[in-house]
Amino acid sequence: MTAFLTTPPAWPTIILARTKAIAADPWDLDAAVRAGAFEGLRAAVRTGATGTIAEVAASGLRGRGGSGYPTGDKWRAATNVDADQRYVIANGYGADPATQIDAALMAADPWAVIEGLVIAAFAVGASEAILAVRSDQPGLVARLEGAVAEVEAAGFAGHDVAGSGRRVTVTVRGLQGSYMLGEETVLIKALEGKRAAPDQRPPYPTERGLFDRPTVVNNVATLAAVPWILVHGAAAFAAVGSTDAPGTALVQLRGPGGAGIAEVPMGASLGEITALVGGAGAHGLKALLVGGPTGGFLPADALDTPYTYAALREAGAHIGSGSIVIADDRACIVDLARLLTRFAADQACGKSIPCRIGLRRLSEIGERAAAGTPRAGDAQLAADLAHDVAASALCDHERTATYALASVLRYFRTELDDHLLRSTCPAGVCTPIAVAGGAASPGASA
Amino acid sequence: MTTVPGMGLVRGMGLTLTRFFKPKATIMWPEEQADVAPKFRGRLQLLYDEYGTLKCETCFQCAQACPIECIDMGGMDTRGRFHVHWGPPETYGERREESAIRRSGRPVADAEFTRFDAIDLSAVDEILEAHDYDPKALLPMLEELQAAYGHLPVAALKQLSRRTGAWYAIVYGAATSYRHLRLEPPTVTAVPPAGEAHKAAEAGYLSALDAALDGKASR
Ligand SMILES: Cc1cc2nc3c(=O)[nH]c(=O)nc-3n(C[C@H](O)[C@H](O)[C@H](O)COP(=O)(O)O)c2cc1C
Ligand code: SF4
Ligand code: FES
Repeated sequence: MTAFLTTPPAWPTIILARTKAIAADPWDLDAAVRAGAFEGLRAAVRTGATGTIAEVAASGLRGRGGSGYPTGDKWRAATNVDADQRYVIANGYGADPATQIDAALMAADPWAVIEGLVIAAFAVGASEAILAVRSDQPGLVARLEGAVAEVEAAGFAGHDVAGSGRRVTVTVRGLQGSYMLGEETVLIKALEGKRAAPDQRPPYPTERGLFDRPTVVNNVATLAAVPWILVHGAAAFAAVGSTDAPGTALVQLRGPGGAGIAEVPMGASLGEITALVGGAGAHGLKALLVGGPTGGFLPADALDTPYTYAALREAGAHIGSGSIVIADDRACIVDLARLLTRFAADQACGKSIPCRIGLRRLSEIGERAAAGTPRAGDAQLAADLAHDVAASALCDHERTATYALASVLRYFRTELDDHLLRSTCPAGVCTPIAVAGGAASPGASA
Repeated sequence: MTTVPGMGLVRGMGLTLTRFFKPKATIMWPEEQADVAPKFRGRLQLLYDEYGTLKCETCFQCAQACPIECIDMGGMDTRGRFHVHWGPPETYGERREESAIRRSGRPVADAEFTRFDAIDLSAVDEILEAHDYDPKALLPMLEELQAAYGHLPVAALKQLSRRTGAWYAIVYGAATSYRHLRLEPPTVTAVPPAGEAHKAAEAGYLSALDAALDGKASR
């Protein structure tokens, strides 16, 4: 399990606020309650469903699953639809294989996630809440099922949620076998027992989701922030982070100097965040890969970029899985982009043309560049294709899978041209190219 | 005969003339309707790519979308190594190899597959009973089936479809789109054990990422 990093004392902790107090045994409900667990649920029951949604909306909380949709709006949208049943799903699948944020959060404070999930169900009037996690993580489903049973026995869920007279049944569902399971409509499909291919939105799940009922899908870290908001107030939350994206986020850092998960205030600069693992180290910073397998590469002078949804999109990356990878001078950005695009193409579901063929063609351009067999016009073709795939995408996967190559075109054009036009790889990674160009670069390794 | 100059032209004009005096076949649609069976929706035709191979990836989405379940598909990859599915109405011979493996193709030992084997279905019936014949529990049922048989035998999938009422295309589509599910016995395939397939894809990505960040070749 990836370790949590220590953050500067000035940085507030919200999502992980209780983890220190319950570190001795995170799975002990009594200890968690003594440390303040389920206070937020009590506050929600006191305020009532509408008041709870208003409070969450006022806090400015936005989804931590990547897209950053305002959570209050999402909940309200689900209540605006007449239905005999509503569902709330906590998305703890954690699709990015290199990121363990969701699993680490559930292991450090499972109660915050369960509490947030029950509050969400209470607020939108759902009697069924589902906690979806990876079933290929040994023991996780069983432990969470045990935790949910304890929570129901303690009266914080089940027939009568914290004395409100409302019923919320929490079910833990283990899923595996597809990268796309992280996407909300795919998650819903899987829970319905269907193949892992996304649906077109709209209609959004809040209108027609699980079994065609209004469904709220929230990332586990989003839900874990909700109890804190209800205990400390929306204003206290809104005061943290940046104005357009308040609060904190969990990021997973990886660099030559170290790796780990940290809770950072939204709007902190990428430089401040990467300093937590000592920056790029001796070799010097080449690029930051922000957003996981579908993320974008940002150049060294992007260290001032604030970690917010809008600023990252602007720069050609996104929050995505919350992963930030520091690539130093040894790495070849073209090769990295090729790897990412290839992975994204392999994992795509195949439902739509941009997904099935567009991403494949895009990844072939990357393969050609890294293998020393580029075709004339490949750079322009990549740019056009990335644009068209993003414009015609059925789900966000294709849209964001273009970021890797698009950001290389935008920031690392000379390095790409070295591959495409001059048949050299400055980092000496793509060796066939160096040989083909007759200019084996120093430090080339097999 | 064939060398008489102008003969081709004469023949061509002859055809034009006979056609000219034949009754016209144009139907003034939509005012007039053609006399075809009410179920007729045109003929299915698969497209070929620039290499002459079928573009169909056997992704099963058309079969899932078809309201009267008339589309079923199956066949071998271009090198005759991978059997995908055997459907009565149509059997399409070839597919793009790589994409087919990725989507739904699983390697099978005997390429000469004819029929699916009959199996003891009691385990299927028990699993169905435990889940109340509810197609919503398709994924857990498929996982339990795999645990019971070691793989997902076609006979079991057919039974699942028959007893839950879920179309075979839906059952098959779900079974092929999750990588931890497998369609043939572990003994006859080279694919990693059930449950490992998706992990292997993830592990491959992780080690390639490690190598690339260390400045080593990742391909
Ligand atoms: C390819 C893909 C993978 C995704 N993976 C995850 C994931 O692993 N976890 C997650 O919470 N959201 C993931 N999402 C985002 C979800 O679709 C959804 O937006 C999110 O769960 C909503 O929660 P939020 O509003 O709290 O962010 C993914 C989206 C896409 C397109
Ligand atoms: S199976 Fe998929 S690729 Fe083949 S024809 Fe049907 S929809 Fe198209
Ligand atoms: S991944 Fe296939 S439609 Fe988005």
